Amino acid sequence: MMHGAVCIWQRDMLVLRRNLFSEVATVLAFPLTFFLTFGLGLKGYIQDIEGVPYAIFVVPGLISMTAVLGAFDDSSWGMWFHRIVQKTIEEYRVNPITVVDIIIGKIFSGFTSGLFKGISVGICLLFLTGFQFTFAYLAVYLLFIFLGCMIFSCLGSLCGTLIDKPENLGRVEAVVVMPIIFLAGLFFPLSAYPDNVLPYIKAVPTTALFDGAREVLLDGKVDPVYLSMLGLSAIISFALAVRVFEKKMHG
Amino acid sequence: MGVAMKNEIELRQVTKVYGSLVAVKEVSLAVPKGIVFGLLGPNGAGKTTLVNILTTLLWPTSGSATIGGYDVLRDAAKIRSLIGVVPQENNLDRYLTARENLILHAKMHKMSPSSYHRRVDELLSLMGLTERQKDFPNKFSTGMQRRLVVARALVHDPQILFLDEPTTGLDPQAKRAIWDYFLSLKRKRTIFLTTHNMEEADFLCDQISIIDNGSPIAFGTSAQLKEMAESAWYYEIEVAGKAEEYVQAFQRLPFIESSSIQDGLIQVCLKKEGNLGSLVEQIDLKDLKKISSRQPSLEDVFLKLTGRRLRQ
Repeated sequence: MMHGAVCIWQRDMLVLRRNLFSEVATVLAFPLTFFLTFGLGLKGYIQDIEGVPYAIFVVPGLISMTAVLGAFDDSSWGMWFHRIVQKTIEEYRVNPITVVDIIIGKIFSGFTSGLFKGISVGICLLFLTGFQFTFAYLAVYLLFIFLGCMIFSCLGSLCGTLIDKPENLGRVEAVVVMPIIFLAGLFFPLSAYPDNVLPYIKAVPTTALFDGAREVLLDGKVDPVYLSMLGLSAIISFALAVRVFEKKMHG
Repeated sequence: MGVAMKNEIELRQVTKVYGSLVAVKEVSLAVPKGIVFGLLGPNGAGKTTLVNILTTLLWPTSGSATIGGYDVLRDAAKIRSLIGVVPQENNLDRYLTARENLILHAKMHKMSPSSYHRRVDELLSLMGLTERQKDFPNKFSTGMQRRLVVARALVHDPQILFLDEPTTGLDPQAKRAIWDYFLSLKRKRTIFLTTHNMEEADFLCDQISIIDNGSPIAFGTSAQLKEMAESAWYYEIEVAGKAEEYVQAFQRLPFIESSSIQDGLIQVCLKKEGNLGSLVEQIDLKDLKKISSRQPSLEDVFLKLTGRRLRQ
């Protein structure tokens, strides 16, 4: 079954490789602006957080944000473009591959793209801040990023499958995706939330991703609850993306 | 058709419903191996829906269909390895070069690099695209894109070809070249063609089914279908101006079955019992430039059956 998925993934990687320079330039601009504004521009006005300088505190979150947004954008716009504009999904579907192949190929393309973008920004930020990290921590941090990219790639594919108008795709990103990223403690510690709000914030999988990933990279602390939440969310979003795509394709 | 002849494509009472719209209604068809079968009908008649069902893109609401003996619902993957599809729209990947578009298709069919490179070279040459193989399709004219779509459908040398309005947007020369290629495949491949171009259906098809509002309304060879329209005489009249006025006047005559203007010429269908003299009497001889009889066309058949033209 995976043969078709590999073909589609290889196609997407060929296109990504061809646009590598412009992709890297675009992907660096957004998190670097945040870093320069909050990490450097405002650092004199913001105290250290739990003993960590603010410029360092935001680095893990900025890398995670770049990775998952990259995965979401690539999957949602990619799926939408292939389905509505180019109609290449129809061409894929008259070949001896399954609709599951197509969605898996697209999810893995979004995932790879997100991972690549996250790592690019990570290298750049680590170089800028002189951030010291332990390699063992980095491996677990990458596991968080891996699961995050998988979840956001599945959600992106789901949106690209269900949404026909491009402006609505942009609205979902502005009204749903960005808030759940920003509210998950990207720029501040979760302890800033009132006690009665905190349980709700902790129930959102992006909190498991951003807070969990930061805890790992800064303190080497692995929260099994966060990891389980992410694993479960990845499985559910994958199953949902595949099912919805299958249903949509067969009319 | 002979009893022993194997049917490559079969539909039994196929219906497709979208909400309250019945796009295809209880269609039954049998297409023998090695022929060019044409589905002729106006836009919105249900042709593309039928092709989408046969190419496994859509599931029928009811009824069943088989391609090469395989069921469209149960053996979709098997069917997709047998068929090549030229869709109505040029759905090329604009981020891949012309050559890469064909290679991606070949890879999905699990062809080996040694066999697909040879085949891709062959098809690019056949379609006159060798010089442009490294260009992206969005730099191509509509005709070149169409030729690339046709080439893509042929990469894996399919046993059955589905052509949905294959020559739409092509200039006459390119259209003729593609028709000749399809004709060269006759007997070796089964071709299922949808078109609203009667000339295309007439030129290519061994059997034709005329479809309207989701249901077939006539079936046969081009000659058999035209016989249906032979209960009348067909004339083309050229007049100096006032063509509209003459058409209106002709329509009031009891011995005229239909009258319309096409490409500047008045098309008149005279009932068998009518006579040409009575028709000519209606025309001021100063206006009359030319009058000629013609053979009935598939357009006349459609008009006779539905009271409408194919491209209304």
